[in-house]
Amino acid sequence: MMGSHSLAINKLSGGYGDITVIRDVSLTVEPGKVVFVTGRNGVGKTTLIKLIAGQLATQSGDILFGERDMRAEPSHARRAIGIGYAPQESVVFDDLSVRENLTLQYRDRDLARYEALFASFPRLKERRAQRAGTLSGGEKKILSFCRAVAEDTRLVMLDEPTEGVQPENIERMATHVATEAGRGRGFLIVEQNLGFAERLADHAHVLDHGACVYDSPGGPGLRTRLAEKLAL
Amino acid sequence: MASSRAINVLFLIGLLLVPFLWDSFVAYQLGLFLLYGMVGQGIGLCWGRAGFLPLGQALFFGVGAYVFGSALKLEAGSLFLIAGLLAAILLPALIAFVVGFLVFIRQIGSGPYFSLITLALTMLGFQLANSMDWLTGGFNGMTGIPALPGTDTYETLYYVIWAALVLVSGVLAYVGTAPFGQLLGATAQNEERLQYFGFNTALLKAIAFAISAAVAGLAGALFAPHQGIVTPQSVGFLLSAEIVVWTAVGGRASLMGPVLGAILIGFMASELRDSFQYWEVLIALVFVIVVIRFPGGLWSLVEGLAHRLPSFGAKGARRRDIETDKSRANGPVRLAFEDVELVLGPVRILDKLSFRIETPGVHSIIGPNGAGKTSAFNVLTGRLKPTAGRIEYSGAPVGGLSRHRIARMGIARKLQIPSVFPDLSVDRNVDIALWAGDLTLTKMFTLRPFRWSTPLLNEMYDIFPFLEDGRQPAGSLSLGQRQKLDFAMTCLTQSPLLLLDEPCAGLSSSETGEMIDAIERIVGTTGSTAIIIEHDMQVVERLSNHVLVLNQGALLANGAMEEIRSDPAVQAVYGGGSK
Amino acid sequence: MELVALQGLNFVYISLTLALVALGLAVVFGLLGVMNMAHGEFVMLGAYSVLVVQNAGLPFLAALPLALAVCAAVGWLLEFFVIRHLYRRPFDTLLATWGLAILMREIVEAVFGRDYKSVNQSLPGTVEVLGAVYPAYRVVLMALMVAFFAGLFLWYRRSNTGARIKAMVSNPALATAVGVNTAVLARGAFIFGVCMAGLAGVALAPLVRVEPYMGIDYLLSSFFILVVGGLGSLAGLLVGSTVIGGSDAIVSAITSKTGGYMTVLIISILFLWLRPNGIVSRD
Repeated sequence: MMGSHSLAINKLSGGYGDITVIRDVSLTVEPGKVVFVTGRNGVGKTTLIKLIAGQLATQSGDILFGERDMRAEPSHARRAIGIGYAPQESVVFDDLSVRENLTLQYRDRDLARYEALFASFPRLKERRAQRAGTLSGGEKKILSFCRAVAEDTRLVMLDEPTEGVQPENIERMATHVATEAGRGRGFLIVEQNLGFAERLADHAHVLDHGACVYDSPGGPGLRTRLAEKLAL
Repeated sequence: MASSRAINVLFLIGLLLVPFLWDSFVAYQLGLFLLYGMVGQGIGLCWGRAGFLPLGQALFFGVGAYVFGSALKLEAGSLFLIAGLLAAILLPALIAFVVGFLVFIRQIGSGPYFSLITLALTMLGFQLANSMDWLTGGFNGMTGIPALPGTDTYETLYYVIWAALVLVSGVLAYVGTAPFGQLLGATAQNEERLQYFGFNTALLKAIAFAISAAVAGLAGALFAPHQGIVTPQSVGFLLSAEIVVWTAVGGRASLMGPVLGAILIGFMASELRDSFQYWEVLIALVFVIVVIRFPGGLWSLVEGLAHRLPSFGAKGARRRDIETDKSRANGPVRLAFEDVELVLGPVRILDKLSFRIETPGVHSIIGPNGAGKTSAFNVLTGRLKPTAGRIEYSGAPVGGLSRHRIARMGIARKLQIPSVFPDLSVDRNVDIALWAGDLTLTKMFTLRPFRWSTPLLNEMYDIFPFLEDGRQPAGSLSLGQRQKLDFAMTCLTQSPLLLLDEPCAGLSSSETGEMIDAIERIVGTTGSTAIIIEHDMQVVERLSNHVLVLNQGALLANGAMEEIRSDPAVQAVYGGGSK
Repeated sequence: MELVALQGLNFVYISLTLALVALGLAVVFGLLGVMNMAHGEFVMLGAYSVLVVQNAGLPFLAALPLALAVCAAVGWLLEFFVIRHLYRRPFDTLLATWGLAILMREIVEAVFGRDYKSVNQSLPGTVEVLGAVYPAYRVVLMALMVAFFAGLFLWYRRSNTGARIKAMVSNPALATAVGVNTAVLARGAFIFGVCMAGLAGVALAPLVRVEPYMGIDYLLSSFFILVVGGLGSLAGLLVGSTVIGGSDAIVSAITSKTGGYMTVLIISILFLWLRPNGIVSRD
């Protein structure tokens, strides 16, 4: 665990081709902090994450991780550099088994590193031989969450991790996020579930039409403040 | 598109003038490639529109040639000739239909399997043509085929060929515009979804393949008197491959593109082959480049120029003026699950699931992740086959039937992820929903169904005004709008049983409110039964009197919302929450 | 007895080589999802390598490295310039590779001519197997192929490469997110697949007519083997090769080549219809 690995986004703009979806967004995620990004449908939350993940080309602005300019790195290198990512859609490899989903990026097929997570989500362990495509939507999200959390990345980006997940499991996810943050990992989470945000956020940003229109430190009352900003 | 029509007509007129602009010998040689172009047009129907690629069309071409060639040689009178011509067209169509249907019912999007089987068939055809020399004349071919009575092979036959081309083009254009053609396009875009509308996509594709074979057979029939000889080369792999190349280069998605490709590449190649040794290599290169960079082919370049032409025959705003009656069976829906099991590998996804739904209105299925909610829908709609148990819908067993058959019984399904036909317009998407269950094979080939309307459709326009902007492609709608369109389409089938899987997934809280209102209103108006899978308790509370709780593949509790809420077993397993 | 042993050995030899061709297609089509219509042409390149090597007066086995080099080079070019752009477009891949197949055939025809060539059969060394006298190089090749399949099986079991390839094809965005270098992996898999075809071509050359159009039959055979044996396992591959190779050989011997062809086609359509996942379904 060497050095400080902060994610710093500076006036980032980008989108699809020449369509600009994200405009001049700036935010930071420091080690051990949990930062939330929320907003109504279609405001660009997923686009923002995809830009950071290197899956879309940026138009202007910086993405710095530690000292590194991430825009110069190919997208598949992020994992090795220390940025993990759980996307919003197509969250698992449907054609592979649960076990393969959890181990394909490692040298072996050992599930030992998932012990703590399996304790919280025993269902997943039961289904380890099952084809991931046959899991329910919420179970897929749980699988994706476990996979990302078990990676030893300094920063974890989660896009709508609780969509379709039932409340008890959401609570368990929150516990794991809190634990990992306590160990010095940073989290950048896109979410519409404001209760989850209130539970975990050190800081929260609200996007609208691709720009950041509000941000607030975490703590009690966050949910109400955010709900206000999101109301039509 | 109107401008396409103008270009097509101009192109055909140009072809007619060839004997006058050049000489009849050039026309004679060109005639051969018009025939090949016709085969290509058939390929275009399958590939450009329906999304599957036949690689062995020469088989049908050759069969047509041998059959009609034999008929001509017998010189037994015009009635016999007509019979021969019909055989030359229908025999290939029959073969194609049978083979196509067998392959298509097994796979969704049969893709490479289909292509390779057609390839193998054409090679088999080649071998048979070679070896069955008592029938075909073997390696040397069927020789001495006389001219078509009433025509002079080097003079007037060209006009007969031209007329056939016009006929085929007209038929294919019509078929493409008719509901059948639209459904083919929908099959290419989202075959499974189309099946949930009750359409037998394997049948549709098999018919398209049969049409392409008939066209190839007709072309082959005219080939016989044109060349005077039919050899196994006409049946084989090489010719099939060449025609596909010409179709691709000319433009697979356009009506005339394949003909243009056959003329430019085929005809010119045969002229230049002797003067340039590496001509074949060059063509292959051009082909590869076209596939990678210019999928629209040469014809798309031609169309680019067409914008300057005046358009005629432009359609005015289409009027929906035929009220169709889509009301279905009377009486409330009766759905029964009896000890239904679904076992996949080591996991019991559904474990003796039993319940009954016998009243109209909205019922909700809730339960923890992995409880089997969507799986219950899957076995009910034919997406999965139950391992054991019985599912009955209004007295009829449903387990294990195909998707489209179940849909026709009156069960409509909306998948969790919005599934529309992205390259078709919103209007067309709506059409498909209106056609569901009521579009017979004959009606598919008429234009009347485009004018269908139902009272429910008008109500839908009221609830979701954006639907009236019907010309935009469904793929350009936002996620929320696609959810709404998908929902509207599901309801427009006026199926007595509606299955809605997380209808509010991905919607904001205001959009969720709109959707709840819409569901309430529609179910009330139509008197149908809706079953909703939901996580959002707010939605469940507002909409349904009857709630089923699933857990670990079985029914845990069953009753009104208040009962469920206070049931300790439910509380133990599932708390519930909302956005 | 001697004749039976001879036929038997030839049968095993052919089944193994067919399995090798099908293996290449299984990787390229089964894993990568690329319907490589030029697959048979790589077999053809392998066969022509033997010709080249013999014309240069070198021993037969020298064709192996040559075939590998040529197929790897052509495969690399194909993947880099053409296939790479078309992973998300299965039809266009089919078509583009078909165009490339035509190109490859035309080039070979321009260089070597269209007529059949045969490869020199009199190579030094024979071995006695089960009472039959059998060429040594074939025994060596069979042993190599068996060893290769065994090694591949063990490696595949333990490594995650197969999973990564499948993952990359079905969900490239997610594969990138977990750190898979999709471009390199895809290229490697494709080159591996076509090299298998080339090596099989070397093994087949002494038994068949070497001419530019020989490849199409192998494309079809390997495809049918995959239909019968299933896309997912090596065991299926071997079973498929035996069924296809065997029925073709038997029926052809009794009736004619056409009869053999028709039998294989009917078996494949039946399998496609009744057991779409093949004999040995995916694990």
